[in-house]
Amino acid sequence: MRRLIGGAIYLLSGAVGVLAFIYPFFVPAGAVPQHGMAHSQDAPLLTAALVGLSVVALLVELQGRSLSAKTVAMLGVLVAVTSVLRFLEVAFPMPGGFSPIFAPIIIAGYVFGGRFGFLMGTFTLLASGLVTGGVGPWLPYQMFTAGWAGLSAGWLGRMSKGLKEHVAHVPQRDESRLTLRFSRLDLLILCLFGFFWGLLYGAIMNIYFWPFAVGAAEQTWTPGIGLGETLARYGAFYVVTSLAWDLARAAGNVALIVVLGRPMVKALERFRRRFHFQIQESGHSMAEAGPNA
Amino acid sequence: MLDARVWLLWALTTLVAASSTRSPLYVIVLLLTTTVVGGTCATGEGRRAPLSPLRFAVVAVPLSALFNGLTVHFGDTVLFHLPSWLPLLGGAITLEALAFGALNGLTLTVIFSAFSVFNQVTPVRDLIQLTPRAFHEGGVVLSIALTFIPQTTRSLKRIREAQAVRGHRVEGIRDWLPIVVPLLVSGLERAMGLAEAMVARGYGAVTDEDHPLRTQGLLALGLLALLAGWLTYLFRAAWRISAVVTMAAGAGIIGLALWLTGRRVQHTVYRARSWTSGDTLTVLGCALTLTVALTQRETLYYSPYPQLSLPPFDPLVGTALLGLLVPAIVTVAKEDRGPDARGTQQAEALDEAP
Repeated sequence: MRRLIGGAIYLLSGAVGVLAFIYPFFVPAGAVPQHGMAHSQDAPLLTAALVGLSVVALLVELQGRSLSAKTVAMLGVLVAVTSVLRFLEVAFPMPGGFSPIFAPIIIAGYVFGGRFGFLMGTFTLLASGLVTGGVGPWLPYQMFTAGWAGLSAGWLGRMSKGLKEHVAHVPQRDESRLTLRFSRLDLLILCLFGFFWGLLYGAIMNIYFWPFAVGAAEQTWTPGIGLGETLARYGAFYVVTSLAWDLARAAGNVALIVVLGRPMVKALERFRRRFHFQIQESGHSMAEAGPNA
Repeated sequence: MLDARVWLLWALTTLVAASSTRSPLYVIVLLLTTTVVGGTCATGEGRRAPLSPLRFAVVAVPLSALFNGLTVHFGDTVLFHLPSWLPLLGGAITLEALAFGALNGLTLTVIFSAFSVFNQVTPVRDLIQLTPRAFHEGGVVLSIALTFIPQTTRSLKRIREAQAVRGHRVEGIRDWLPIVVPLLVSGLERAMGLAEAMVARGYGAVTDEDHPLRTQGLLALGLLALLAGWLTYLFRAAWRISAVVTMAAGAGIIGLALWLTGRRVQHTVYRARSWTSGDTLTVLGCALTLTVALTQRETLYYSPYPQLSLPPFDPLVGTALLGLLVPAIVTVAKEDRGPDARGTQQAEALDEAP
């Protein structure tokens, strides 16, 4: 029952957040006042509240299964390390939207799972926002998007391990055996994932203000023009305003994952085994237990 | 010094007020207000934003005007024409489009300026104390992260120096490897020690249990109400009020779940900060501005299209926006009170000391 409701919370939180972002793609004519009209700013305020509430609900659920001291300590330290990397970004502006914080979030989610990845994504953006003076109305959107990048990286890692488990016929319950070699295929998959999120992060961050942006008719949103036309207009807007910027981020993610991916996964896997080392009550020896993180 | 919650309210009120208008006169009033508050209250060694509001304005206003002017070919005052074979850019360049773009840039500057002041005047410690009890584990993670950031920065420096002694130079991304991996491993080693210390001191011994099913049910119900309300808002214009009520109910249910979760956590404060008359006055000022921003949308509304005209200005609405000036007035009044006030400030500083 608990799992069922937990799944429903994931689903509903995702649905609320995603629908708050992508409503321009399906909303009928006259549903939302357009730019240049009184009350045209109601929708952005509402969507900001919806995204904030969906992040809050998911955070409560993710914290619901209490975090162990080891998970809390590791999460705190990893957030600190990643936030320090953001100092580099602020101190030495990098090309386009390149930011060194996404690769660690993706890799940590991949190794430690979706829950850890979501928390790492949201807390990294929050902590680095606090220390670099980056708190603002954009922060809930950044936290939501980075959190989902970490969460989906956890699903990717789980799928990858599950697939290997299936192919290698490793017993399902034996967590210790799930640490398999990080192959070139894994690296390639992680690079593609980093590239995809590099573009998606920018595309999502654009959507929240796109319906209220003023521009050429073929790039601006008009309610009720249909999904195809809306996608075409958003595509034109995205290509003109953001593609080059986001390509730098995506390429940066790939470069960082290529260079740091294997050693980081190796180091994190090693610490994952150390952190989950527990003494089994019924056993005659010490063994690794399943992740309670 | 004002309460961090009051500063948050001030920044959010500025955000709502700036989002509600495109009239240059009201936007300039808001910009002047945030500048005065910033100049009066954010004089200490707070966290500086990576970009000052002035530099932001120098970039954002012309860029926004240029982008809007080149891509929107609407308005009566045509300045010149670009050849029609130019994709997206071809057509009439109008004064109205340039003006509207500049106004958008100016509004963004107001929002940026308000949050820049907020970032400078609120210590990180006070912001962490705003974390709801329900997120106490998140608060612990955040505290650990913020405590470890200076240590990690020192580690980064040490590792860079050690690698430099070996002749290592950072010239490309590949050169980050000998720096990032030791930084990560040393950080994780510290996390291991910290976790052991936390367990030794009893962390998780009391609250190491899952949330009750009731909390999960409330969260799911709240999210469902939000989803239903949002879809109704979008697809049933006639039921908009019911939709907003449903969303408010959803937010309330999630708030209830937060409160129930927070009740299970014991919260202790070493030295509680006392609520001052300055806090009350600032809340009242924000309430005045917020009321006007939410109820006088038609008065605040302005569009330069189709022909640029002088924007109307209602002195009452303009005065109500000055409610955001209260933090500056409170600070100046406190300074003018002289030695007594300084004594009070010192006492307050002692109260706020960890």
